[in-house]
Amino acid sequence: MKRLEELKEAGHKAFVAYIMAGDGGLEKLGEQIQYLQERGVTAIEVGIPFSDPVADGPTIEAAGNRALAEGVTLEKVLAAMKGFEFEVKVPLIIMTYLNPVLRFGAERFTEEAKKSGATGIIIPDLPFEHRQLIEPFAKQQGLVLVQLVTLTTIDSRLKEILKEAEGFVYAVTVTGITGTRDDLAEEVGAFTRKVRDLSPVPVYAGFGISKESHVDMLREDVDGFIVGSAIVQAFHEGRIADIEPLIDAVTVPHSV
Amino acid sequence: MTRVKICGLMEEQHVRAASPADAIGFVFAPSRRRVSVERAAQLSRLAPEAVERIGVFVNASFEEIATAVEMVPLTMVQLHGDEPDELIRRIDVPVIQAFSIRTQEDVRKLESSIADYVLVDAPGTEYRGGSGHVFDWSLLENTNLDNSRLILAGGLNADNIQAAISQTNPFMVDVSSGVETDGRKDEAKIQQFILQAKGDSMERTKEKTIDPVGFFGRYGGQFVPETLMKAVKELEIAYEEAKNDPEFQKEYHDYLREYVGREQPLTFAARMTEAWGGPKIYLKREDLNHTGAHKVNNAIGQALLAQRMGKRKIVAETGAGQHGVATATICALFDLDCVVFMGEEDIKRQQLNVFRMKLLGARVESVSKGSGTLKDAVNEALRYWVTNVEDTHYLIGSALGPHPFPTMVRDFQSVIGKETKRQILDKEGRLPDAIVACIGGGSNAIGMFYPFVNDEAVRLIGAEAAGEGVDTDRHAATLTKGSDGVLHGAMMKLLQDDAGQVQEAHSISAGLDYPGIGPEHAHLADIGRVTYEAITDDEALASVVEMSRLEGIIPALESAHAVAEAKKQAQAMGQGDILIICVSGRGDKDMATYAERLEGLS
Ligand SMILES: Cc1ncc(COP(=O)(O)O)c(C=O)c1O
Repeated sequence: MKRLEELKEAGHKAFVAYIMAGDGGLEKLGEQIQYLQERGVTAIEVGIPFSDPVADGPTIEAAGNRALAEGVTLEKVLAAMKGFEFEVKVPLIIMTYLNPVLRFGAERFTEEAKKSGATGIIIPDLPFEHRQLIEPFAKQQGLVLVQLVTLTTIDSRLKEILKEAEGFVYAVTVTGITGTRDDLAEEVGAFTRKVRDLSPVPVYAGFGISKESHVDMLREDVDGFIVGSAIVQAFHEGRIADIEPLIDAVTVPHSV
Repeated sequence: MTRVKICGLMEEQHVRAASPADAIGFVFAPSRRRVSVERAAQLSRLAPEAVERIGVFVNASFEEIATAVEMVPLTMVQLHGDEPDELIRRIDVPVIQAFSIRTQEDVRKLESSIADYVLVDAPGTEYRGGSGHVFDWSLLENTNLDNSRLILAGGLNADNIQAAISQTNPFMVDVSSGVETDGRKDEAKIQQFILQAKGDSMERTKEKTIDPVGFFGRYGGQFVPETLMKAVKELEIAYEEAKNDPEFQKEYHDYLREYVGREQPLTFAARMTEAWGGPKIYLKREDLNHTGAHKVNNAIGQALLAQRMGKRKIVAETGAGQHGVATATICALFDLDCVVFMGEEDIKRQQLNVFRMKLLGARVESVSKGSGTLKDAVNEALRYWVTNVEDTHYLIGSALGPHPFPTMVRDFQSVIGKETKRQILDKEGRLPDAIVACIGGGSNAIGMFYPFVNDEAVRLIGAEAAGEGVDTDRHAATLTKGSDGVLHGAMMKLLQDDAGQVQEAHSISAGLDYPGIGPEHAHLADIGRVTYEAITDDEALASVVEMSRLEGIIPALESAHAVAEAKKQAQAMGQGDILIICVSGRGDKDMATYAERLEGLS
């Protein structure tokens, strides 16, 4: 994911879109990825549904349940990704809870993820201390294991985590679960500035980002934004075009 | 816990570094790690007595092997050639037969081995002792091989050993080149490997404030979103301090005595004893606790701890409502803010308890997601905690969740087992032959069992819920039917499908209706210290009637599972034996279910 660093060097902001694989049927996955890359997003997180998504709010949980009802599994998502007949032009990052990975086999997962064209992995319930369960295998395949840091991450720990950060750092901008919000807390800017000062890789803000006002508020303090629930819901309701202004607000160069 | 073998030792300092391992290996076959029998005998004297001495041979004669066994002496023999079965049969000590694994075909071969253990390795290139490369561990997934015979080798090192163990669950792991630097053993790598293999993943964090604890074998850990890590670690430290603070312990025990009404009797059940015609039956009376179940023991402990940490808001989940009631009660007592998440289904089944919680001033939040039972209530409680973590304590109700919860809940519930031990020694002058407790998440059982775990002669039996039968898809028999997985912050045993989605559990008893099991129980099951049996809804209901009529004690539905299992155990026990049942709670909360399911009872 060198590209992300280049983007940062060039002073552009990244827009990372999260989608729930298989929401609306697995055949939608390729279409959604194609649409988003055409529309200029920087990278895409491919979410894997899980029965007990404790880091997620109602929107993503509901999308996951719809995907599960369609019979979507980690294995099927990876197979679908392998079958893409279009050129994937942006980094694809698999976002999954730990249990489906352990069940699939950690090494097998990283091998298959690599073959399916993924470049990174995010596992929200795999804390830094237990990353050995996955990281050695990810390394073997050249996949980055993206770390999350949050408003509650204490400074000494933040430094430890950032020392080993690869790809990008996921700065969680709410104390809470995923889902759209009206406002972000005041202290978020100071937090992302602190992370950015310490981080060797780009810092992207995620959780709760759903409006242009959020982007305006944090633009100077982060290298990019991750948008999940708002995109998932828009795809579900067939009104993804509504998201375009948000993508533009991030990616179209701003003159200050 | 998986055992560790360090193989190919040649030098004194390396044997010493390997002393925390379970086995050491000497190579007698042609190899750059070859040692003579005399040298192996010298080195062997440096290793602790409990460590197995294993000799590695390739197509050696019986006489060579027998000589080495006697001279070193070896406690096991490992064969890497094409040794015939007749040779294997003649060897006096346990035999390990090694196989190279490349294809599913190779896996079939090892299934038919007559050796005591089979060692699986990647195909050798260097010499017959293995190549130091990993093979595809998933090949082992569909074998009929009993994991207690499996020894895993080939390319293991400190970085991949955790994953290797979690994927293959072997009896032992075997490492040689993975603990070497430039072809020579490396003490630091040996120690690091053992540490990793023993499941001590906490040690991997460089955060010095954290004890290298939190795992029971390979179960446990802190698998929570980053937002909760700070709270979990603060709790760990706060609990450690409180545990060692006599003031805290005194306060806790004062409340148990003055408010809960402890200690509870160990009642001799004369009529059950007579009716079952076997061992003497004793009942540990957790049903007599204020609020009607064992849950309050834990609620008081954690509420005191929360206040010590300056937190005055409490969130809890509840299944049967007993833990919710206990928590609401204690929050009333200490004037704490209380939110309880409860599944929609359970709210229907346990209306009386819902009203009790409200009467006590708690807010009860209905959870309609998923199966609307305990698992979903825990999910919502965790989400609430993530969102309100700065001022809220999650008062978890069973021996579940991220470290330190399973340990802390066990410690607070251990009052059950400690009292029982003292009482039975008073009454009978000896320890019991068996103890039975029911298992939901496992808190009353671990509290009862823990003080007896080192008393090997006491059989410990957990009764989980078989619902409509373990062969249906409506049960909660996690240890009978589950497999390793991560849920609600811990590695444990789970009911899950092939894709790793957690399945819905079912039991007539809301308190047992959970698809996981506390990590310490998962470990006790693995090492065989506790046996776990499953009891159906109907068996539990029959025991409700039986105990009510024989002893005048109406048990909770959960506890009735223990009673039903005890009755089965009693069949195989003699008249002089002693059997203790943990009666975790009383049946008042279940009266609506009893009235419905036992209608027409006469
Ligand atoms: C009376 C009673 N016994 C047992 C249990 C099961 O929980 P655990 O396995 O944690 O003891 C419950 C849970 O609600 C209960 O109310």
